[in-house]
Amino acid sequence: MVQLDHVSKIHTSGVAALTDVSLRVDRGEFVFIVGPTGSGKSTLLKLLYRAELPTHGRVLVYGRDVGRLRAGAVAGLRRTLGVVFQDFKLLPQRTALENVAFALRVIGTPSTEIRPRALQALERVGLMQRANAMPAELSGGEQQRVSIARALVNNPPLLLADEPTGNLDPDSSWEIIQLLSRITVRRTTVIVTTHNKTIVDMLRRRVVRLADGRVTRDEPRGLYAVTV
Amino acid sequence: MRSRSEGSPVVRRVGVQREAFAQFLREASMSFRRNGLMTAAAVTTVTVALLTVGMAVAGSLNLSHLATTLNAQVEIVAFVRDGTRPSDLTRIETAIAAEPGVGAVRFVGRGEALARLQRSLGESPAFADLTKHNPLPDSFEIRVGDAAQTADVAAAIQTVPGIHEVAYGAEVVDRLVALTRAMRIMALLLTVALAVVAVIVVTNTLRLTVIARWREIEIMELVGATRWFIRWPFLIEGVLQGLLAAAAAGSVLLAVYAVAAARLQGALPFLPILPAAGIALPLMAAVAVCGIAVGAAGSFVAVRRFLTT
Ligand SMILES: Nc1ncnc2c1ncn2[C@@H]1O[C@H](COP(=O)(O)OP(=O)(O)O)[C@@H](O)[C@H]1O
Ligand SMILES: [Mg+2]
Repeated sequence: MVQLDHVSKIHTSGVAALTDVSLRVDRGEFVFIVGPTGSGKSTLLKLLYRAELPTHGRVLVYGRDVGRLRAGAVAGLRRTLGVVFQDFKLLPQRTALENVAFALRVIGTPSTEIRPRALQALERVGLMQRANAMPAELSGGEQQRVSIARALVNNPPLLLADEPTGNLDPDSSWEIIQLLSRITVRRTTVIVTTHNKTIVDMLRRRVVRLADGRVTRDEPRGLYAVTV
Repeated sequence: MRSRSEGSPVVRRVGVQREAFAQFLREASMSFRRNGLMTAAAVTTVTVALLTVGMAVAGSLNLSHLATTLNAQVEIVAFVRDGTRPSDLTRIETAIAAEPGVGAVRFVGRGEALARLQRSLGESPAFADLTKHNPLPDSFEIRVGDAAQTADVAAAIQTVPGIHEVAYGAEVVDRLVALTRAMRIMALLLTVALAVVAVIVVTNTLRLTVIARWREIEIMELVGATRWFIRWPFLIEGVLQGLLAAAAAGSVLLAVYAVAAARLQGALPFLPILPAAGIALPLMAAVAVCGIAVGAAGSFVAVRRFLTT
């Protein structure tokens, strides 16, 4: 599903964000990428949705070398994966439903399909009742669910979440993580970056730890920190 | 504590929509006031640039017209060697006509040449003598296909056996050719320089629209909208600005040109000036094409920085 072979990313500023990272994530897996700020978590995800190009090594998504995609092929890749961010990235002037529908509309989905599919996605995140609410009227957790609905509306096989609980209180964070981990039931692969120790330790899923751009640990049912 | 009406979902929804609508109106009018002024400024700048482009087009069309007119009037006169037998004249005429670049050839006998001279100088006692001993040679008047080739054609005719001397209005033709060329180059340089300025102004205006919609652009990119899908609204906005400027510049130019051409023609009747109707189509087309190109280029540059792929 996702594979990194000896990947390094050196920014134009000279900062080495990732150094010799090799990683493999299979279909339906749920993976936490953990590590302190600046350890390269966001950069790793950006390589997967082709917002950054690797300096060395290969990044394969669905078996395709995304580092070699033509600029015109990037849109095609993005339609097959969902991305969720700490700041939700919702359009403040549009309702929850319109925000989800927006993702369908801008890729040319037939107009008759848009509303039912957007509603279905909101149902999947348990937000049907709030479909006509504006983002400002929703709690942080609800806004994040709208952004997850938007990421899932095309039924992507891969969902990437960069610190999805970074702006949320502990209860909302837990709800969001529960929601993300349930998505894997449908064989969707989910990769979540976080530095929320409590959540990682409660969920006991695969944990990949980054430190200074290197993978220092990769455990199938891991904890945030090494237990001594 | 909650009142009962607040709790009703229907009332809440209507309230929210009205609120959202009001906010939308507020923001739209604010953005129009802010961008409207910038848009007016950009359209004005592009109009000024297009006015100059249009003047260059009008000037260049008139120069070509002048060249064509003079072209039709430019003649080479080839004088036949003294003592050539009348029977050889046909052979010489055929040889001249065979030279490349030669249009029409006309024989002017020495008698006809003298008559013309008399006509142009008027009656004078000295002519009595001239008529007795006509000093003028037989000659051919040759029209050239392209004025720019006059010198070459004249040189070729010089080599025809039986031709003594060749004459043509060398200076006028050469200067006209040089002037047209210089004018075209200057017009091109000016157009390029003004186009760059116009593109920069349009870019800065459109950037405001782009910035106002950067979050939408960001999301569109993330969810896989194509670059063209993202570009087209801005492209339309830019092209509309260009067309607006083209319409303004074109109508101003045509109106001013019509008046100026009529005045100038009245003052200088011999000058071949094109009427406004004669330049309207190419002028409008040139200005519209430049306006569209400037608007499209401006929108491309404005959006480019916000496209990450
Ligand atoms: N666009 C960029 N240009 C230069 N340096 C960058 C850029 N993005 C990230 N970095 C640097 O790369 C390193 C890793 O950043 P990031 O992947 O954002 O880490 P994390 O998400 O784990 O906090 C940091 O040192 C950061 O400053
Ligand atoms: Mg980060």
